[in-house]
Amino acid sequence: MAEEPECALQLPPSSTTDGEGPTEVSPETATPEPPSSAAVSPGTEEPAGDTKKKIDVLLKAVGDTPIMKTKKWAVERTRTIQGLIDFIKKFLKLVASEQLFIYVNQSFAPSPDQEVGTLYECFGSDGKLVLHYCKSQAWG
Amino acid sequence: MEEDEFFGEKTFQHCCAEFIRHSQQIGDGWEWRTLKDCSEGYMCKTHFQIKPETLMSHSGTSACVQTCLPIEEALELPLDDSEVTETTTGSQVIKYEYHVLYSCSYQVPVLYFRASFLDGRPLALKDIWEGIHECYKTRLLQEPWDTITQQEHPILGQPFFVLHPCKTDEFMTPVLKNSQKINRSVNYITSWLSVVGPVVGLNLPLSYARAASEDE
Repeated sequence: MAEEPECALQLPPSSTTDGEGPTEVSPETATPEPPSSAAVSPGTEEPAGDTKKKIDVLLKAVGDTPIMKTKKWAVERTRTIQGLIDFIKKFLKLVASEQLFIYVNQSFAPSPDQEVGTLYECFGSDGKLVLHYCKSQAWG
Repeated sequence: MEEDEFFGEKTFQHCCAEFIRHSQQIGDGWEWRTLKDCSEGYMCKTHFQIKPETLMSHSGTSACVQTCLPIEEALELPLDDSEVTETTTGSQVIKYEYHVLYSCSYQVPVLYFRASFLDGRPLALKDIWEGIHECYKTRLLQEPWDTITQQEHPILGQPFFVLHPCKTDEFMTPVLKNSQKINRSVNYITSWLSVVGPVVGLNLPLSYARAASEDE
């Protein structure tokens, strides 16, 4: 399954955007030195094969949630839902009072400790896991 | 359009029935209860959890860092048979009860819960709080999308903790609208409980997600 994610945006420690001018977010400020930047990254360096450590995740926005310019990410199997939520929140520059939910099957929120690898095995198809994310209103 | 935004008691009962049907298939323990001579009912589940002290300290560190410490690792250490009954080592068995009721005033489901030791002593909210995943503590403190209060159970008349339902609509509506758009039915209870449950230590097995989509 040697498929190449279409938009392989580097998760930059500094501002390397590969010429992709992000409209919604500027990556250099969105991701300040994530501790395990390799955990969510483009899949190009990933060896294809049965023992892929990373799975392809397609992120889709629900409701009024901002759409991520890069929707397809290679994510380590052991990354938890909570880790992914934190990543998306930083990427979208959500404020602390905004909550982000992630759903599989567009309707079910896996618990925060759930690993994306497990979700991929249960709900993945066509070599990827589709996750919907939704932001709830900031508290006023 | 109004049909989808209005979650009436009949829909509530229907969704609970579907939910319980799947629960029975996987042995997840949810039941429906009614009072005699009363059409009102609620869904409930009891589960027991071993709460060793070491677990708390692990959950404190793992959450805010992009976690590499799966909770399962922390659980492996204390689950010795000897430690289950040995209260002196700090391990205790806690009985959790979760009740799902319908709120007529908010027209949404509400999660009631309580916890007690095996000898019947109830846990205070602060003790339950300690068992909550660290990421939710931060959220609940910073982002009161659902606050926890103590209230009388509307049917049993006993004190329970409640996740306040005033914001349920806010996070449910986008999900429902989205499903509507793609012509797919959603079990409100499954979706709702998958979101609020983990906040108070109730994690739904993933198979509920598949069951819900099979109901299309």
